[in-house]
Amino acid sequence: MYAQFFGSYLLNQHAVSPEALTNAIQHMHETHIKLGTLAIHMGYMTAEQVDDVCETQKKADMRFGEIALDKEYLTLPQVKELLNAQRPEYLLLGQELIDEGVLTNSQFETLLADYQFDADISDLGTEENEESENIIRKFFADAERPVDDYTLLYLNMVFNDFVRFIGSDFTPLPAVKMPTYTSTHCISQNVTGEISLVSRLDMDDRAAIGFASRFAKMEFEKYDDYVIASIGDFLNLHNGLYSVNMSNQYAVELELDPPMEEDKKSISVDDRTYVIPVIYPFGTVHLILTI
Amino acid sequence: MAEIKKIMICDDSILVRLQLSNLIKNYLPGVEITEASNGAEAIKKFDAVRPDLSFLDIVMPKTDGIAATKGILALDADARVVIVSSVGTQNKLREAIEAGAKDFIQKPFSGEQIEKLLEFYSKEA
Repeated sequence: MYAQFFGSYLLNQHAVSPEALTNAIQHMHETHIKLGTLAIHMGYMTAEQVDDVCETQKKADMRFGEIALDKEYLTLPQVKELLNAQRPEYLLLGQELIDEGVLTNSQFETLLADYQFDADISDLGTEENEESENIIRKFFADAERPVDDYTLLYLNMVFNDFVRFIGSDFTPLPAVKMPTYTSTHCISQNVTGEISLVSRLDMDDRAAIGFASRFAKMEFEKYDDYVIASIGDFLNLHNGLYSVNMSNQYAVELELDPPMEEDKKSISVDDRTYVIPVIYPFGTVHLILTI
Repeated sequence: MAEIKKIMICDDSILVRLQLSNLIKNYLPGVEITEASNGAEAIKKFDAVRPDLSFLDIVMPKTDGIAATKGILALDADARVVIVSSVGTQNKLREAIEAGAKDFIQKPFSGEQIEKLLEFYSKEA
């Protein structure tokens, strides 16, 4: 899920110039990920071995996989796996930068390893993600509120963000059916663009203080501007990450409005609205999503 | 080192301003920090203070961070603006760079990221 941020990471590391990055982002969809780049990404070959195979390829009319097998850099099952492997979108950016001569294979190898280490990514595979998506899909199907792909992505991410920023000690309850919902302390954020949605987090004083204290890693004692800002920041952070994923996975571009306060408001719960209570030890957080 | 004397932080969240300001003061204790809570205010304060480095959020009321970056660069073509945003889509990254931003930090940021950045711009200053 964090693989999408590779571009801004390269810029922060001053590994690429802003111009080279902009250029690569604009042209990355015209490139194809080479087997060597994928082999580095999967950790099957070093950059040095990939360079060696490419050198040999210049002299002999052989495929990359055949040469790598000859040189015993790869096994046959590994070659087959590479040929069938999913090509993560952000690798396109890496490939484009290599093709343009901005990065060498060896620089790419180091940056990728550092990035995975910095972002605390142990495995860039998708299995874990698919697993949690299946859990969420089933959860809502059981509650007779089946979800489409965009909603599924939203919910999968929001639960992951709860784990990541607030803590994993929560229990979501099935979506509540009711004609209207009256908010207590509610923060909302509108997301517009090719699709539009409204996301809200509503909670009482105690839950808000608990939620904000965990998010900001500070001890808040009363419901004040810092607590309000913390909840708004969580929403803004989550919706920002959602927009990055929507852009990467579905090429859907979204814009965010600034978070707003909507205390003591009557919210109509129509067919597009999910009211999901999420129980934490510090209280109940109501996630209200209109999508 | 430590040629950075003035830094501006622009974010509509009072919490982000506090966190960023604490991290900066920790690394550059003597630095003068100016805060703004929207893009229009950032342009005004930039003009008055002329900070050596400015941190701007994108999603803000009134004027957003991309427009504010353009406004700041119009006042000073050499201004160093760093975007700090949760909306790290490649489109936003491109818009930020085209507006004249020198760097883009994806939220949530870490103390280490901010320190590295301050170190880089201190050397460059």
